Amino acid sequence: MKILLFCAFLAASPVLAADWKMDPAGSRLEFVATFEKNPAPGVFREFDARLAFDPEKPAGGSLHVTVKVTSADMSIPDVNKEIRNKDWFDYAGFPGAEFHSTELRRVEGNRYAARGTLSLKGVKQAVEVPFTWASSGDGATIEGELTLRRGDFGIGLGEWKATDTIGAEVKVKFKVKLKKA
Amino acid sequence: MFRNDPDTWSAAAKLFHWGMALLIFAQIALGLLAVSWRLSPTKLDLFVWHKSTGMLILALLALRLAWRLSHRVPALPLEMPAWERAGARVSHFLLYTLMLALPLTGWVISSASGVPFRIFWTIPLPAVAAPDKGLADQFATIHGWLVSLLALVLVAHIGAALRHHYVKKDTVLARMLPWSPS
Repeated sequence: MKILLFCAFLAASPVLAADWKMDPAGSRLEFVATFEKNPAPGVFREFDARLAFDPEKPAGGSLHVTVKVTSADMSIPDVNKEIRNKDWFDYAGFPGAEFHSTELRRVEGNRYAARGTLSLKGVKQAVEVPFTWASSGDGATIEGELTLRRGDFGIGLGEWKATDTIGAEVKVKFKVKLKKA
Repeated sequence: MFRNDPDTWSAAAKLFHWGMALLIFAQIALGLLAVSWRLSPTKLDLFVWHKSTGMLILALLALRLAWRLSHRVPALPLEMPAWERAGARVSHFLLYTLMLALPLTGWVISSASGVPFRIFWTIPLPAVAAPDKGLADQFATIHGWLVSLLALVLVAHIGAALRHHYVKKDTVLARMLPWSPS
């Protein structure tokens, strides 16, 4: 019984996961919307990720991401001018987005998932962020992609709610290079 | 059906002429609507329609030119003065040139603006220029001047056809009409 209790304690207790911080030079956060059935890619030039992670015991870890929404760049000047408006990202009202994990788990092999809350344009939504983990020397890289529905976050209001010209789904892709903090 | 007699246009020639006439008028209307519409899903759709119609016109023009260059066209009336013959030749040459130059300059604008495009939402159109706002603006200006020139040449073309029919009372317009004998 004592042993059982001890095992339960081990499983539930936070392990001492290593702290990782992002190396901005090797990191990218992209999003791909669709425009008239074509991919319309963009990037967030400024964002930061902090990870507490032990690949063998992911449960005790955490992932926190902050995104400077106003650093979005879709590379077409007219589009960049438009997305800052209230109907889209609303730079003035919601300059930042955040993700905070509540649970990290291993899916299989080097594939993991971070369940947590995404706050974007004033909307909080539970999302699961899948990622792969690759360590090399004293660094590591996490990579992944997920699909969000822009309508859930009020991105594209009024007549832009219609999804035939600008599609409903937006793919978010990230590659984050990490250094031990 | 495909050959032109000395005095008549074949059914193929008439189909090219009137089909493309219809497309070109629709195309001018779509272009004017697309640029003047406020930014909205409708504007984006109008541009897809305009660009798609432009590519359709370009494809039809290739067929039409191949046809035109391999067939004799009906003779102009013998009594036509030399300046009128020259005017007809120049305006027809301009019409063909503009039917080519307008889609091509439009293609450059579309490419240089960096906006991805699929013809009728299906066939992706490859870019002929790298994204470059300056180049896009420059070609948009040229595109605008070309369409103004097209409008002028069309006024001359239609005016001349009506003059042939109502003033000179010859068969130049009548033989191109869809219901005339081929």
